[in-house]
Amino acid sequence: MSFVLVQVIVGGLLLGAVYALFSSGLTLVWGMMNIVNFAHGDFVMLGMYVAYVVYTLMGGGPILGAPLATLVLATVGVVVYFALIRDIMKGPMLAQILGTFGLALLLRYSVFWWFGANFLSMPPNIVGGTYAFAGLRIEASRLLAGVVALLVTFGLHLLLTRTSLGSKMLAVAEDQTAAQLMGIRPDTMQAIAWAIAAGATGLAGALIANFFYIVPTVGETLGIVAFVTVSLGGFGSVPGALVAGLLIGVIESLSGYLIGAVYKDIVVYVLFLFFLWFRPQGLMGKM
Amino acid sequence: MRRLIWLLVVAAVAIAYPLLLSSPFQQRLGALVLLYAIAASAWNIVGGYAGQVSVGHVVFFGCGAYAAMGSYAKFGLSPLLGIPGGIVLAVGLAAIIGVPTLRLSGHYFSMATIAVAETVRLIVTNTEWLGAAVGLSGPTVPRNIFDLSFLSSLPYYYLFLVVLVITLLITWWMANSRMGFYLRAIKDSERAARSLGAPASRTKLYAYMLSAALTSVAGALYAMMFGFVDPESGLGILISVKILIMAALGGAGLLFGPLVGAAILVPLEEISNSWLGGKGAGLTFVVYGAIIVLIARFQPGGLLSLFTGRSKSKIDTSKTDTSKTDTSKTDTSKTDTGAGHAP
Amino acid sequence: MNFKHVTRLFCAAAMSLALGPGAQAQDKVVKIGVIMPMSGGTASIGAHAKAALEVAMDIINNAHPELGNLPLAKNAGLAGLGGAKIEAVFADNQGNPATGQNQALRLITEEKVAAVFGSYQSGVTLTSSAIAEKYGVPFLNSESVAANLTERGFKWFFRTTPIATDFAKIYVDFLADIKAQGAKTDSVAVVHDNTEYGTSVANTIAGAFKEKGRPIALDVAYPVNATDLQGQVLQLKDKKPDVVIMISYTSDAILFAKTMQSLDYKPAVLLADDAGYSDPSFTKAVGKISQGVFNRSSWVVGPPGSASAIIADMYKKKSGEEMDDTVARQMQGFFVLAEAIDRAGSTDPAKIQAALKATDLKPEQLMIGYKGVKFDDKGQNVLASGAIIQLQDGENYVSVWPKANAEKAPVLPYKGW
Repeated sequence: MSFVLVQVIVGGLLLGAVYALFSSGLTLVWGMMNIVNFAHGDFVMLGMYVAYVVYTLMGGGPILGAPLATLVLATVGVVVYFALIRDIMKGPMLAQILGTFGLALLLRYSVFWWFGANFLSMPPNIVGGTYAFAGLRIEASRLLAGVVALLVTFGLHLLLTRTSLGSKMLAVAEDQTAAQLMGIRPDTMQAIAWAIAAGATGLAGALIANFFYIVPTVGETLGIVAFVTVSLGGFGSVPGALVAGLLIGVIESLSGYLIGAVYKDIVVYVLFLFFLWFRPQGLMGKM
Repeated sequence: MRRLIWLLVVAAVAIAYPLLLSSPFQQRLGALVLLYAIAASAWNIVGGYAGQVSVGHVVFFGCGAYAAMGSYAKFGLSPLLGIPGGIVLAVGLAAIIGVPTLRLSGHYFSMATIAVAETVRLIVTNTEWLGAAVGLSGPTVPRNIFDLSFLSSLPYYYLFLVVLVITLLITWWMANSRMGFYLRAIKDSERAARSLGAPASRTKLYAYMLSAALTSVAGALYAMMFGFVDPESGLGILISVKILIMAALGGAGLLFGPLVGAAILVPLEEISNSWLGGKGAGLTFVVYGAIIVLIARFQPGGLLSLFTGRSKSKIDTSKTDTSKTDTSKTDTSKTDTGAGHAP
Repeated sequence: MNFKHVTRLFCAAAMSLALGPGAQAQDKVVKIGVIMPMSGGTASIGAHAKAALEVAMDIINNAHPELGNLPLAKNAGLAGLGGAKIEAVFADNQGNPATGQNQALRLITEEKVAAVFGSYQSGVTLTSSAIAEKYGVPFLNSESVAANLTERGFKWFFRTTPIATDFAKIYVDFLADIKAQGAKTDSVAVVHDNTEYGTSVANTIAGAFKEKGRPIALDVAYPVNATDLQGQVLQLKDKKPDVVIMISYTSDAILFAKTMQSLDYKPAVLLADDAGYSDPSFTKAVGKISQGVFNRSSWVVGPPGSASAIIADMYKKKSGEEMDDTVARQMQGFFVLAEAIDRAGSTDPAKIQAALKATDLKPEQLMIGYKGVKFDDKGQNVLASGAIIQLQDGENYVSVWPKANAEKAPVLPYKGW
């Protein structure tokens, strides 16, 4: 019994790490630019499709698919920034919801139009089976996703706090005019932020594709998870997204196992509301 | 004077529409425009005037829809009798949700409303008495006129028109009362409004409750027209987003903004679905999404702001981000430490 | 003045658009409105249905003598209407009850369809058939399973598909049969999502087993489109039921298969309730790790040269997919509707309604394994039935039960991967 619980918790942690990875891109643009990106889940979906195309056209696995998805999505991020975000950022929050929701529909149904509505899937053993040790069973694909997720979120955190690029980005986030006076170009910095955020999201998509099904509407399912993760962790806090992602992963698997899966999302939402009451700024957000 | 003429033209068009375009589908399209205009106008009170972007308004919509269908399915009464119950339920819920969440700023408030709406949807989905996932149906064959189950959309159209006019009158009255004045002040800067003695929390809560009551009426009318409600169509988050988009597209915080948004988006959605949906290629939503993106990109203040002389720059300055001002202090320190590592 | 002029023009244009083509072509073409989910999470259903109905129209509108007893195949068009052609007008319900109802209204009043066909999700079928009832237009449903659809006292609603009570009976009988052959089937677990389909079918099955004096040992519910199903599989692994009945849509079915493999869980008997497990995407994605799964299906491909084999071939050419049970039931439903219109000899709704009520199709006239088609007073097909198929090689299902028309013997226990 207790042994099953360990399996449940380990599974939850691995899943949580992936939640954290695809949420870190969202938290980055949300925190830096105060942009609510309703198309975020669809960025994950695009990453999954890139990985799938790489597999079907070139027979490449995650070694080829993941970096390519990162590159493609980073490009998409820059294009979206210059074509849309740069302008709606100046508008009210409602315009951002309007614009990014429209973008979500546009992306989702463009993919739908091209690939059709069928469920796709990568071959079961593309990353290499399942590890069993001490009675625990862990899928290699989930382990890979979890480990990369931890590394990338950690890397993002370092980038933001320890490099001059990070400082410049934060300076722009803080005060555009002041940053401009210091010789930093806000446009460039924000475009870079979008490239990083979308790239990380694409990477997450490519990794999730190895153990999840692929369908144009999958972004809806994942998008909501990302929103809750980011809000619980605190907008703009990459470590917050990591902790919140892990927490949500574990809570979901535990409550799914112990009290029934149909209530697991209720547990997460109630916990989230409870946190908001005591810490309106999220777990790691600052007041 | 010009305003009055415009108003009369709009009123004349609204009254004459179903008589001029009299095919059943066109009449229904008109009724749907009015229905969504009611919901979006109700949302506008708290989302537009008070600047509190609620993305969970569907929970009040669902209160009305479930109360109307429940009064028929559970008690054999006319769905109309469910409306007061729905209002009471929505206002009570608004008070319970509003007190803790309205103190949250910006995105946190939006996220909290999403979480509440999703929680309610999940609870209803798992509640046998409320029909669980199967939902509740209204009277399929009307017993009498009070079942509001008509073949033609004409009665719905004029009923909705009356409710819309009432909603707009309430909004207009509120906007020009002391409450509207407070709300505008709060939207511009809550801190400043508070320091000048405006009862910010209470005003926001009243606006929220008023908006909830009207949204619940919209939900009840919706369920009566379609004769059915289930968790997805009565409490799904996409309905909130749809309502919000209509208000934002037409012009949030403007009296007629939501009506304009509904008058554009509802026909766009239904007609593009009628033309393109049957092809099964998803083109409906490609078109729909592209149009929304373009409007957000080129007219971020909503379409109506083109005409009302509210220039773009004015909307820019009225952009409130209390979350940003609140966090600015610590953010500075974060930037400072960051800059310390810069070469 | 000017304004009024313009509106009148618009009005006239709209009217002519609405009425024009319908009035002209009425004597040569019979329109049937088809409402399906063509966007959203279940869009693949709509895409498959569209391809299948296009094949059905080809069969009806052109001469296909090779299809033998299948009504309407032999000659081109509907003989009863002087060789008139059938034309399906497709509409997208977006998985939304309101949109479905709007489209039903449009099809009936603008497209002037003779009958409406649809709408997959029970909720959408409920609202769209209500409009057809009000207008007095026949509505044929071939795939929604909610029991309440035929309990509304409707006079224009007909359903060809078997429903949950039929499924439950199939499972009880099938398990009794393999138990007689030595399989262990004592404890039964039901796994289902929390949609209207999942909960209602699960409840009916649980009731049927309880009636037989062996209540369900474990009921595992999960939210549809789950991101993670580990907890559910571990619950099963913990309780070790002999038989697991899965009631899932495609997304969750795929995830279940993957999770069961990674957690190394194999029940002795894995029995699926159609839906996701019949989707060709499922077999393509995870068939290799779901070998030996049993599935309910009314669709069984006959030997080469048989009508069902030819139809399966035509469908594959059209869509690139294998024919599955859902699509086959839809196609069969469409044939039933067309056959009734042919017999009515008219597009008058009342005559079609009368013809539908008089429908009496024999098994050899069907492309699917029903015992026939005959509607009761409520509009439910009383001869609807199903068979059990098994995914023995991981690629294609073969029929294994009932014995009378089984291709192969059931293989036990569940092999997995």
